[in-house]
Amino acid sequence: MRLAFWLYEGTALHGISRVTNSMKGVHTVYHAPQGDDYITATYSMLERTPDFPGLSISVVRGRDLAQGVSRLPGTLQQVDQHYHPDLTVIAPSCSTALLQEDLHQLAAHSGLPPEKILVYALNPFRVSENEAADGLFTELVKRYAAPQEKTAVPSVNLLGFTSLGFHLRANLTSLRRMLQTLGISVNVVAPWGAGIDDLKKLPAAWLNIAPYREIGLTAAEYLAETFDMPAITDAPIGVEPTLAWLRSVIGQLNRIGAERGVPAIALPKLSAFSLDGLSAPSGVPWFARTADMESFSNKRAFVFGDATHTVAIVKFLRDELGMKIIGAGTYMERHADWVRKELEGYLPGALVVTDRFQDVAKIIDDEMPDLVCGTQMERHSCRKLDVPCMVICPPTHIENHLLGYYPFFGFDGSDVIADRVYLSCKLGLEKHLIDFFGDAGLEYEENGAAASPELEPSTGNGHISPTDDIKKEAAAEDGEMKWSDDAETMLKKVPFFVRKKVRKNTETFARGIGESSVTVEVFRKAKESLGG
Amino acid sequence: MAVVTLLHPIADGVDAGSNYQEKHFMMQVSGDVQIIKEDNVTHSFCGLACVGWMYQKIKDSFFLILGTHTCAHFLQNALGMMIFAKPRFGIALMEEGDLSKNEPTLEEIIREIKADHNPSVIFLLSSCTPEVMKVDFKGLAHHLSTPDVPVLFVPASGLVYNFTQAEDSVLHALVPFCPEAPAGQKSVVFLGSVNDATADDLRAEAEELGIHVAGFLPESRFDKMPAIGPDTVLAPIQPYLSRVAVKLERERGARVLHSLFPFGPDGSRAFWEDLAREFGITVDLRDREKAAWEKIRNQRELLKDKKVFLTADTMMELPLARFLKSAGADVVECSSAYINKKFHARELDALAGVRVVEQPNFHRQLEDVKQIRPDLIVTSLMTANPFAGHGFVVKWSMEFMLMPIHSWSGVIPLANLFVSPLLRRSKLPAFDKEVWLEGVMPSAE
Repeated sequence: MRLAFWLYEGTALHGISRVTNSMKGVHTVYHAPQGDDYITATYSMLERTPDFPGLSISVVRGRDLAQGVSRLPGTLQQVDQHYHPDLTVIAPSCSTALLQEDLHQLAAHSGLPPEKILVYALNPFRVSENEAADGLFTELVKRYAAPQEKTAVPSVNLLGFTSLGFHLRANLTSLRRMLQTLGISVNVVAPWGAGIDDLKKLPAAWLNIAPYREIGLTAAEYLAETFDMPAITDAPIGVEPTLAWLRSVIGQLNRIGAERGVPAIALPKLSAFSLDGLSAPSGVPWFARTADMESFSNKRAFVFGDATHTVAIVKFLRDELGMKIIGAGTYMERHADWVRKELEGYLPGALVVTDRFQDVAKIIDDEMPDLVCGTQMERHSCRKLDVPCMVICPPTHIENHLLGYYPFFGFDGSDVIADRVYLSCKLGLEKHLIDFFGDAGLEYEENGAAASPELEPSTGNGHISPTDDIKKEAAAEDGEMKWSDDAETMLKKVPFFVRKKVRKNTETFARGIGESSVTVEVFRKAKESLGG
Repeated sequence: MAVVTLLHPIADGVDAGSNYQEKHFMMQVSGDVQIIKEDNVTHSFCGLACVGWMYQKIKDSFFLILGTHTCAHFLQNALGMMIFAKPRFGIALMEEGDLSKNEPTLEEIIREIKADHNPSVIFLLSSCTPEVMKVDFKGLAHHLSTPDVPVLFVPASGLVYNFTQAEDSVLHALVPFCPEAPAGQKSVVFLGSVNDATADDLRAEAEELGIHVAGFLPESRFDKMPAIGPDTVLAPIQPYLSRVAVKLERERGARVLHSLFPFGPDGSRAFWEDLAREFGITVDLRDREKAAWEKIRNQRELLKDKKVFLTADTMMELPLARFLKSAGADVVECSSAYINKKFHARELDALAGVRVVEQPNFHRQLEDVKQIRPDLIVTSLMTANPFAGHGFVVKWSMEFMLMPIHSWSGVIPLANLFVSPLLRRSKLPAFDKEVWLEGVMPSAE
């Protein structure tokens, strides 16, 4: 038992519903107490679904348990009559899993034909969101994928694209654009937008593309074993990885094409991949070589997230932008070994593996990096510390479901990521000016920066604003060591965006030399010893 | 067949029975109001949702949920609650290894909470998993309590409670910490959590009428809970607090005001006149009510004859529907998760002629909505956007819990909440969903 406030991964039920909400004609029925279908709100609000997510609850009340009745068969009938799904997935919640009911039998009582029902009764205490999503998707692929003729033209399946995925649509668009440029047809995208018939025809494609470590990989492995379909499992994030990805897609398809007597695909002039077809496909390689990016060589970055994005972003920052990586971590313990292997030689220390956001917040607090790439939680922790942060992976938040085209995949994605790095970090020449002249008239931003309101609706009769809490906390921390007025005045001359860091370092220094307060004298000593 | 009944637009209460179908039946309440009861296959939250506002209301408290990953995921996602510096709520997370233990050991966690937060009170909320495990919460809370920091058990699980109902449980747990008020001075205690500004308004209003105010249950500090005794009049200001009202009536001999809830000109007038009457004060607020209706004349014009459908979510539906009806709207269905015939009697009377459903079936509601084509649907966070996608104008039911809609000062905000989505929609250009919804939700195409 431990005290938890916030979790990176969602529940097994969440994982299951991410897959079924992605799919046509598939409905999930939760055998669960009132409220466990809160998950519906994550789709209807984050993805702003214009139709009802295919999720229904078959409510379990305390009274039903006492009386030994189950509403599940009745709910299954209702769902069948109202939505006519091709398949209904039945899932227990954590509490009903403990009841050890025979869901197969209850489902059979509904009178629905067995081929329209899938009981997915995994242990919600052992399995989390991504494992459940990956597992259910694999289960569905096993159930429906059927042997068949390959398509006449080179084709691919895009696997693992799932409801609430990080920048899902834009990534999909980016991949589709590149494949279109190469003249490769997309056989099936799954689970996003796929129906049962689409799963059946998965083996018609020549090649599977499963870029996410978390979801889709196991299905790709199954298809490789059973239908001898090759798979590309690298994520095309960053310019060099995208080029490598394109080459391996072309290589794999041409190998099969040669056997089938289909003309080979050639990598076109790279400008063919740009939005206007006339320019470099990405601005990143030149951008990284410009003089204003020179200041980035000393920037220290910390990366924390899922497996796929942590690996990709660490490589991108170091290999393509020339930044310094001071550490990285993941909350995906299941994939930690893979992350470690991929990041061999990239990290100065051990990979951080934790699902406690407090551990990550502590590292950020101790290190005060120039850039943090993390989840919404890190964005939150960083805001408190005034550390620049950009969000690179799930769990998603309303801010990750924007209307514009912001992919992370492909050449387009490289530009998006580089832009975000650039906008998140304090800038080059501007930084020198501010360092030299103090606040440069930007003082007013101090409060504004930390106080942008949350976008999500929150309950609470609204009389405490989130920022109050943050400020109170900051005040409490500042109160730990006294600063003389002179020292405070001196601190004010330090650029506002590093002020917190300087304050903290100075206090640490003061403690180290046995001082209980910070005077001008102590501050000067600290500056000398810490190099300004 | 009950299933067939559920499919028909207006359930007629005839139930041929099916083994698994919750029987739905009609309850005769006073007057013409009939409550149709269905099987609760619906979209709403469990009682843990109350943490969202209760921890902010009682400022020296900590809310500890004994629960699972699901409970934590719910709070952070559905309620959109981010963790600020030091959140005053948390989950004692039950993991697989904890399932085999007879009693959860929370000492370490309680120590951590006390060290970090120094709360005056810790509310221990139950959730579904420990309830299925039959954890003895009362014993547990008692065992963890110390004279300085009581740990109070709050039943909140979705096995029994919906959304707002767990506020009732929190108040229930606070009763022993309301001092006994000796007989003598007659005074009012308002029942229900509202923000401080609303509380000030209600207090001032009562005092102006010559009513002595003993306080609010809950107050914003644990050590400031109001004294309650035989000469206390309890005035419920939220419609989901029937259990604590009954408890105080029984244990302290307090009188519970049975009136309309103070929403809208009609509700405010009835509430204050009836409350004054409890104090032997006769007031005629007819003019005040008239003036209040006058203030929202434009809103009423827009609401007149508009078909409004309330799908059941926060349990504020009865008074909201009653206000809408008084304002001239045509309430085509008022559904609520729980209706208490005694506690809600006046609201039910006022809803005569309106279709009132308890524990509605969402699938049936969907069919009805498609036939009736309401002008406005008041519905949960889970269902609002999909209804909008089907071409309806919607309002989040939860917003009514976050806005100051009580009493006279709340009349305009209340009316505006209903009117603003109608106005906004009328200002937007024509919408061809074949064009603008393409690709938004591929699974629905």
